[in-house]
Amino acid sequence: MLQCIFLLSDSGEVMLEKQLTGQRVDRSICTWFWEHTVSQGDSPKLQSVIASPTHYLFQVLREGITFLACTQVEMPPLMGIEFLCRVADVLTDYLGSLNEDLIKDNFVIVYELLDEMIDNGFPLTTEPNILREMIAPPNIANKMLSVVTGNSSNVSDILPGATSSCIPWRTTNLKYANNEVYVDLVEEMDAIINRDGVLVKCEIYGEVQVNSHLSGVPDLTLSFANPAVLDDVRFHPCVRFRPWEAHEILSFVPPDGQFKLMSYRVRKLKSSPIYVKPQLTSDAGTCRVSVLVGIRNDPGKTIDSITVQFQLPSCVLSADLNSNYGTVNILANKTCSWTIGKIPKDKAPALSGTLLLETGLECLHVFPTFQVGFRIMGVALSGLKIDKLDLKNLPKPPYKGFRALTRAGEFEVRS
Amino acid sequence: MAPPAQAQRSSSPSQPSGKGEVADVKSQLRNLAGSRAPGVDDSKRELFKKVISYMTIGIDVSSVFGEMVMCSATSDIVLKKMCYLYVGNYAKVNPDLALLTINFLQRDCKDEDPMIRGLALRSLCSLRVTNLVEYLVGPLGAGLKDNNSYVRMIAVMGVLKLYHISASTCVDADFPTTLKHLLLNDRDTQVVANCLSALQEIWSLGGSASEEVSREREILLSKPVIYYLLNRIREFSEWAQCLVLELVAKYVPADPNEIFDVMNLLEDRLQHANGAVVLATAKVFLQLTLSMTDVHQQVYERIKAPLLTLVSSGSPEQSYAVLSHLHLLVMRAPFIFSSDYKHFYCQYNEPSYVKKLKLEMLTAVANESNTYEIVTELCEYAANVDIPIARESIRAVGKIALQQYDVNAIVDRLLQFLEMEKDYVTAEALVLVKDLLRKYPQWSQDCIAVVGNISSKNVQEPKAKAALIWMLGEYSHEMHDAPYILEGLIENWEDEHSAEVRLHLLTAVMKCFFKRAPETQKSLGAALAAGLADFHQDVHDRALFYYRLLQYNISVAERVVNPPKQAVSVFADTQSSEIKDRIFDEFNSLSVVYQKPSYMFTYKEHRGPFEFSDEIGNLSIGTESTDTVVPNRVEANDKDLLLSTSEKEETRGLNNSSSAYSAPSYDASSLSVPTSQLSELAISNPSVSGNVPQPSFAIDDLLGLGLPTAPAPAPSPPPLKLNPKAVLDPTTFQQKWRQLPISLSQEYSINPQGVAALTTPQALLRHMQGQSIHCIASGGQSPNFKFFFFAQKAEESSTFLVECIVNTSSAKAQIKIKADDQNATQPFSSVFQSALSKFGMP
Repeated sequence: MLQCIFLLSDSGEVMLEKQLTGQRVDRSICTWFWEHTVSQGDSPKLQSVIASPTHYLFQVLREGITFLACTQVEMPPLMGIEFLCRVADVLTDYLGSLNEDLIKDNFVIVYELLDEMIDNGFPLTTEPNILREMIAPPNIANKMLSVVTGNSSNVSDILPGATSSCIPWRTTNLKYANNEVYVDLVEEMDAIINRDGVLVKCEIYGEVQVNSHLSGVPDLTLSFANPAVLDDVRFHPCVRFRPWEAHEILSFVPPDGQFKLMSYRVRKLKSSPIYVKPQLTSDAGTCRVSVLVGIRNDPGKTIDSITVQFQLPSCVLSADLNSNYGTVNILANKTCSWTIGKIPKDKAPALSGTLLLETGLECLHVFPTFQVGFRIMGVALSGLKIDKLDLKNLPKPPYKGFRALTRAGEFEVRS
Repeated sequence: MAPPAQAQRSSSPSQPSGKGEVADVKSQLRNLAGSRAPGVDDSKRELFKKVISYMTIGIDVSSVFGEMVMCSATSDIVLKKMCYLYVGNYAKVNPDLALLTINFLQRDCKDEDPMIRGLALRSLCSLRVTNLVEYLVGPLGAGLKDNNSYVRMIAVMGVLKLYHISASTCVDADFPTTLKHLLLNDRDTQVVANCLSALQEIWSLGGSASEEVSREREILLSKPVIYYLLNRIREFSEWAQCLVLELVAKYVPADPNEIFDVMNLLEDRLQHANGAVVLATAKVFLQLTLSMTDVHQQVYERIKAPLLTLVSSGSPEQSYAVLSHLHLLVMRAPFIFSSDYKHFYCQYNEPSYVKKLKLEMLTAVANESNTYEIVTELCEYAANVDIPIARESIRAVGKIALQQYDVNAIVDRLLQFLEMEKDYVTAEALVLVKDLLRKYPQWSQDCIAVVGNISSKNVQEPKAKAALIWMLGEYSHEMHDAPYILEGLIENWEDEHSAEVRLHLLTAVMKCFFKRAPETQKSLGAALAAGLADFHQDVHDRALFYYRLLQYNISVAERVVNPPKQAVSVFADTQSSEIKDRIFDEFNSLSVVYQKPSYMFTYKEHRGPFEFSDEIGNLSIGTESTDTVVPNRVEANDKDLLLSTSEKEETRGLNNSSSAYSAPSYDASSLSVPTSQLSELAISNPSVSGNVPQPSFAIDDLLGLGLPTAPAPAPSPPPLKLNPKAVLDPTTFQQKWRQLPISLSQEYSINPQGVAALTTPQALLRHMQGQSIHCIASGGQSPNFKFFFFAQKAEESSTFLVECIVNTSSAKAQIKIKADDQNATQPFSSVFQSALSKFGMP
């Protein structure tokens, strides 16, 4: 049971405070929290659950804004954290993005939202579709309308249909002139490659994202050509469990707009699309660096946005690094970032140069880890393929769109 | 929004200082108050916004309360909302002015628009002003009967708010009964969920009226209610599902079929997108199957994948909380996760607290088949930029080495660490090599060759230095220049700041002396002289002791300092199994994240002392049926519960080593516990009777193995010490009470003073608490009282459960005792009896 929610700016200023129960939480807790954060040094990743002298704090950091919740009683930690994440998601959804100014400009809406999302410390509804009907988002159309009609209320007059609908995530009377539905497979590849170039670990975390603009109450069925590749799946509440259990078919009545239908994990992949081969050899106080990047397994589509990033060890005094393709930048915090983009046809991108070590140090003992980024449009590297999408309960056949995308998640190459 | 403005950071230039602006707003509001001009709502809105924004940044705007209320007569819902927000925030500070708002809030409660009705009701209940509660009853009653579920849902929460302000008003209006009705009959699930959460809180607060409340709780946990909620679970919102699942986790199904039904029904909840639902479901599964060993293991297999997905898919904040739970499961059943070790590999970017958890899990899951990969991975981290993690991973390698039987490859790795020439790596590796040698003396040749090459000048950390010195002393016969290195160290005695190192130096030079006397004699003299002059008490004493020992008899001294040593088989664990078990019982709570049971960190008043204590009301039904269960079967079942095996090994290992290993002082802390317990037991049992091997019985007893035969006829049983801070949650009590057979049933008589003092159950509770016997539930009225007590042995987790029925008119107390350790029933019974007999005595 949460007692209070604070929103803090990136300088620790309290932007918003929402007391939830009779036990008022004093603002000084934020000061304590901020001092605690500062005392943790430059590592911005603070534990999500912290025990302060008087309260237990949940914190979630999004775009520089800290969502802080306090409680004094034992409760499921994930409930606190998940809820704060949802608050952040809903605010992003409402305000278009998330930053200090947006929150300060729209604090009345934020209060209204919190009021509907949590009562007496217990979360009520966090479903954006329902909230949007209770509290209208502050968009341009609304502002136009208010200027024209003189009615400047940003609250819809009617009570949301969904609160009384039997499908809580969808309102009953939706109408679109053009019915369309888009299904995207978005995958992230996490991998660890050791210094011998061996793939130590490689797995994919994927999401099926759906954007639906459909009239009435449509019933959708999505099936995969090869559901067997999936290791573990999680569903949006709209997915019916039995059809999946029996035939591995996703049957659902979609919420309106963009939502995450399913997330999944595919383990034990055997290969990565690109290789990164770093080599570091030290000799008499200097270290020669060479990094080669190339395509290992052609996925059949262009690999773009390739980047390689690594942190220079603290014992390095200066670095002189050049590449035959792309740009190399060494940032103030000793992070070296090499932006490659697409791999050219005629040559293999290579980065080379020397690192000058601290005096007295013969050779490098701490080896950097190279973090690799890339993006491949049109391919789901897990091999998952959508078989078909059937729609029922619709007056006329809608437009259906499918896309796939794979990008690097935590893709690490050790040296 | 806190009224005191001084908490503000005044540095920020954008923040107005307060006073002038507030006065300005005040006058403007006053001008607008009566106006009905067109567009006045817009200007009001701007002003309200200003007031709220002042409030938000912490300026005290309570002085405009009156004006705000005057302006509140409007049909604009945003204005209303801002006004409600303002009023809710300052009403408590201005109870007199708050009265002004009652009127318009009550009117809004009857508005046509359900949204406004709901909002007004919510604000009305959020005023939290004690002397205004009378105005709440009417609107709340109407709200509970409202046609619109939105209003009902708010009204239900309103009842809870009212209960917090004035419990008696709430009960007098009979609201709890209405909530009970709504809980079982409302068609809107959010209303049902709010009823559930409100009723649970009301009952946990109203613990004093235990009889009635216990009946209510019993109903809540009864089969019909649980099934009613379970059957509708898919209709509930994700948060309400968490609430229902939490309740279900406390439900005790009647038979295995029921357990499987519940689990089948909830199976798909494990695939819910909300992590809180997944964890709550996992908790239900784990709790339901606690007594079914093989199913429990299957549950681990089943919940493994969803938890691993949650870790990799969620935000870093979620990952950490889930990882903490996974950590708990891995520690309890490492073998189930042994093929998933790659999930616990650390990513470069992860914060170090996550890496630490992962390292511990990697250590735990290491077995014959994956050790090579895990150790290879851990060695990568040793070169990590993050020094604490590098250290931690070296320690992990060491721990794995100590767990494994085939340490060949690991020793090589450790020795490579020593050659890495980084001071902290060397330091950690030295400590490990020392531990390794204590367990596997056969590796001494290989290790010593490498250790001998380390210059003691490069080792600065006390722990590492102590380890090096220990090895120098222990293996001085194999290390060529050991005496000379020690000599060098002794010469620098004055510069050595750590007493630990100096102590080791003394012992090492002694050991070395007995092996290579001619080379060491001089430095031994120097060391003893320096030790005697040392200002540190321990160092001085040890030096003096060695000196006298040498004076007394050299061969005795050698036997004391250099006895033959038996390898240590298992090192003691830092976290006791009792605490681990307790954390496990609190799965899906903050305890898991902190790795401490909640009694160690939450305040007592927040735990809700009686929270679930009255579920025990239904115990008496279960008692009769379980009486017939064969005691041995229950015990065996309890012991082999999947996870306790490793703990058993641990205790056995300790027992073996404690009697054999007696090196002076070295890391004695890990061994001292059992030794002291043994001696204590031996001393407290001076009258060893006849041919019964009393001490060995004591040891078995200590290990909690329980003897199948009848306990030895001990004339004076060892005095039993009880843990004054014993904690047992009601569910465990309930489970234990059902599982254990009655080990003793007796009738005591109570002295007249006791009878006189026993007017309420609480009197006896407090008294028994003073005797380290805790009450978990009580009830009844004169002359019949019923209590459930529990107590725990001071040194171990062995628990005693007592049912005590007191009849004050006959001055008799009927006692039924159930105990984890049957042999300890007698001593406990006498402790209990004497505690009871002191009741009422001045």
